[in-house]
Amino acid sequence: MTQEYMKEMKPAYTMITIMEEAERCLLCHDAPCSQSCPAGTDPARFIRSVRFRNFKGAAETIRMNNAMGSVCARVCPTERYCEYGCSRTGIDKPIDIGGIQRFVTDFEERIGMVILEKGPAKGKKIAIIGSGPAGLQAAATLLTKGYDVDIYEKNDKAGGFLRTGIPEYRMPNHIVDVEVKRIEDLGAKIILGKEIGKDLSMDQLKKDYDAVLVAVGVGKPNILDMFNGNEYAVPAVTFLAEAKAKEGKVDLPDNALVIGGGDSAMDAATTLKVLGVQNVTCVTRKELVDFRASKEELETARAAGVTIVDGYAPSAVDGKVVTFKHRKLNSELKIEADLIVLAVGQSSEAGGLGLTMNKNEVGFEGYHAGDNVFAAGDITLGDKTVVYAVRKGKEAAEAIDEYLGGK
Amino acid sequence: MVRKDLSVDFLGVHFENPFCLSSSPVGNCYDMCAKCYDEGWGGIVFKTIGPADFLIDEVSPRFDALQKEGTPFVGFKNMEQIAEHSLEENLSDLRRLKKDYPNKVLIASIMGPTEKDWEELARLVTEAGADMIEMNLSCPQMTSHAMGSDVGTNPELCKAYCQAVKRGTDLPVLAKMTPNITDMVPVAKACLEGGADGISAINTIKSICNVDLNRKIGLPIINGKSSISGYSGKAVKPVALRFIQQLRTGIPGVPISGIGGIETWEDAAEFILLGSTTLQITTSVMQYGYRIIDDLKSGLEYYMEEQGVDSLEELVGVANENLIPAEDLDRDYKVFPHIDQDKCIGCGRCYISCYDGAHQAIVWDEEERKPSCDEDKCVGCHLCVLVCPVGAISKGKVVMKPGREGSPEEKAI
Ligand SMILES: Cc1cc2nc3c(=O)[nH]c(=O)nc-3n(C[C@H](O)[C@H](O)[C@H](O)COP(=O)(O)OP(=O)(O)OC[C@H]3O[C@@H](n4cnc5c(N)ncnc54)[C@H](O)[C@@H]3O)c2cc1C
Ligand SMILES: Cc1cc2nc3c(=O)[nH]c(=O)nc-3n(C[C@H](O)[C@H](O)[C@H](O)COP(=O)(O)O)c2cc1C
Ligand code: SF4
Ligand code: SF4
Ligand code: SF4
Repeated sequence: MTQEYMKEMKPAYTMITIMEEAERCLLCHDAPCSQSCPAGTDPARFIRSVRFRNFKGAAETIRMNNAMGSVCARVCPTERYCEYGCSRTGIDKPIDIGGIQRFVTDFEERIGMVILEKGPAKGKKIAIIGSGPAGLQAAATLLTKGYDVDIYEKNDKAGGFLRTGIPEYRMPNHIVDVEVKRIEDLGAKIILGKEIGKDLSMDQLKKDYDAVLVAVGVGKPNILDMFNGNEYAVPAVTFLAEAKAKEGKVDLPDNALVIGGGDSAMDAATTLKVLGVQNVTCVTRKELVDFRASKEELETARAAGVTIVDGYAPSAVDGKVVTFKHRKLNSELKIEADLIVLAVGQSSEAGGLGLTMNKNEVGFEGYHAGDNVFAAGDITLGDKTVVYAVRKGKEAAEAIDEYLGGK
Repeated sequence: MVRKDLSVDFLGVHFENPFCLSSSPVGNCYDMCAKCYDEGWGGIVFKTIGPADFLIDEVSPRFDALQKEGTPFVGFKNMEQIAEHSLEENLSDLRRLKKDYPNKVLIASIMGPTEKDWEELARLVTEAGADMIEMNLSCPQMTSHAMGSDVGTNPELCKAYCQAVKRGTDLPVLAKMTPNITDMVPVAKACLEGGADGISAINTIKSICNVDLNRKIGLPIINGKSSISGYSGKAVKPVALRFIQQLRTGIPGVPISGIGGIETWEDAAEFILLGSTTLQITTSVMQYGYRIIDDLKSGLEYYMEEQGVDSLEELVGVANENLIPAEDLDRDYKVFPHIDQDKCIGCGRCYISCYDGAHQAIVWDEEERKPSCDEDKCVGCHLCVLVCPVGAISKGKVVMKPGREGSPEEKAI
């Protein structure tokens, strides 16, 4: 079933159907959608361009505002952002803004449009640690301002969780390749397989560069103590990274248990199901009403056939048998599985790079960490989504530009 | 990112881009025009100004629109006459606009019932600072038959009025044509002889958009009655393009300001390719606002880049020579449709249209729900291409008709 895993789940628009969707847009005055895009991608503006058949102009609006436009088109929880306030909801349902954005960015890729241009050289060098969406967006913004940018990435491929976390059927790796290549073509040098703090010291970077941006994300998987050393247990992000790197060709159990209720839990459960695992049960502590995963992820998991049990927390484990207790009721549950996927969050290692951390977040407002060091992405305050990483990447780049006197 | 110079020179006046509001309520007062200039339009043809003693008294409501399926503004009908503001207000707006926007083009549209009025209006708007004058010889719903499209079908009268205007001004003059005529060329020629420097085309087409079926009255209803009046918007584009082509063949090289149904940059490019140097727009601005200028400009810039041109003037009229009389077209071959079975979703629309509206050449496989083409019956009309909802049918094999000379490979299909 790797074929299903490797194919984008949501079908793309055609030249005819995109006009039908664009025509549904009311072309609002002071459009609510544009006010609620965290990255300022200005959906009302690019939908209007589509409506008036200016597809290149639409691509320009997206790309100028969002260097991760093709990614956001696919993974943004639009129901929480741009589509949340969409006026069309007053008639039937919101405009499929993500779908329109995907059509436009696919068009941009198909015709090989080059939109972002490097600014006149400033003769200043910035180091970025981490090639996730925050690091990539910051690189794009800095390059258009004329800075030289080196990106250090500990993995052997760039992209952060876009590459290793979000499953192929939602976030194809070839799209990540295209987005990364665009930023390389703009002038970024990406140094792969170099972990800062291990292969190269933070102090060295601070000396060698005019500014350093830490965008290392929150990527170290958490383990519940009771699963320490359990041979059946694997963290969700580890499983997802392996499935993605091997294009779905991983060893599969007959039955799988996923513990957790966020996006990673849904992604891991759906991936298992899509790959052909017979029984996938997902058990979450939270009750469905205050579920963390996006509605779309939850629906996708259910449609794929995942059994979701809510309100139960693990209380004991014996090999492959996990016992759960309901948080409120006097009720117990025992599940035996050949694979236990732990989707219980990740933690940050940014503390090791000298940043003041408060759990997984930096201990300061804004982006300036002191000296010539800045931070962006999931480690900074605010939502932990790709589009927020983009916004923070842009804002951190602005902060660096201001710190360096804009010259 | 692409940035191209969209500027054009037209009748000696420099436009930063060819896009102008056409004379109508979209450019009716200082505040509207200022907003329009601020949003990036190249020029404005101000709402038609009449003589001080001609009182305008409008009906309410005054518009109607033709709808087709889900599209609400296929065409638009209006019953407006000319500017409702007083002559003095209009002139003072023109003065202020020219003072505040010296680099934007301001065109005054005028109309009068007598030669004396035309000459006087021309003098007044020239003094007010207009860069150009447009003579409205074409409004189809005037309450006076000494003005409007009744005048615009009479070459002698048009010529005399052009001469009168030229006595009152030394500005370049455009004569705005009515499409409510079989052949526009004699009128346009008369205007040029009378001193006009270029032609604007088209004004609105006489129409009845809809009839209220219960009350048995055309729309809009004004105290139980309605009138024939001007039709505009996307639906009139084909008619406008046809007149512009005929002007360019009848009067080679005539400078044209193209009008009628422009909504997208693609529409604009079509008007340019058929011979328009500047473009004027009303209905799509009434529907969507001045902001449509963003995509008109950006789309046209990208088109210039695709075409490898640095000046729009290189594109003006280049399609004129590719429109030839029907009797001169090559009738020796036909092009069969090619059906892409992977794209086909099996709706059967091509089968129905070919059977009921063409030549019964689509064979329908009822089991598989798939169409195929019977080449013995197919005449190559391509009705099927136009009805397919997924674009599964395209131009396929080219064949010579029996007994004709030539080879299919040579045909530019
Ligand atoms: C399974 C999963 C599904 C998700 N689904 C969605 C979704 O649908 N929509 C959405 O908006 N968000 C989603 N997210 C969240 C989203 O992926 C993150 O918010 C986003 O990737 C954060 O970007 P970032 O740039 O801060 O960090 P990351 O993407 O985590 O990138 C950080 C990069 O830094 C590198 N790095 C770390 N330390 C070092 C070091 N010392 N030296 C060099 N390199 C280092 C890492 O290898 C990594 O490549 C999902 C996350 C997961 C895990
Ligand atoms: C409401 C309305 C009022 C108009 N008033 C005038 C006018 O005063 N003078 C004039 O020359 N044309 C007038 N026109 C015609 C337009 O300028 C234009 O020639 C015509 O509408 C076709 O262009 P369009 O399809 O872009 O609207 C008017 C059109 C409309 C819709
Ligand atoms: S809010 Fe919805 S309807 Fe309004 S402009 Fe945005 S997408 Fe269109
Ligand atoms: S559009 Fe404006 S002026 Fe016209 S009826 Fe509506 S509110 Fe009145
Ligand atoms: S109209 Fe198009 S989609 Fe429908 S049957 Fe014919 S070829 Fe197929």
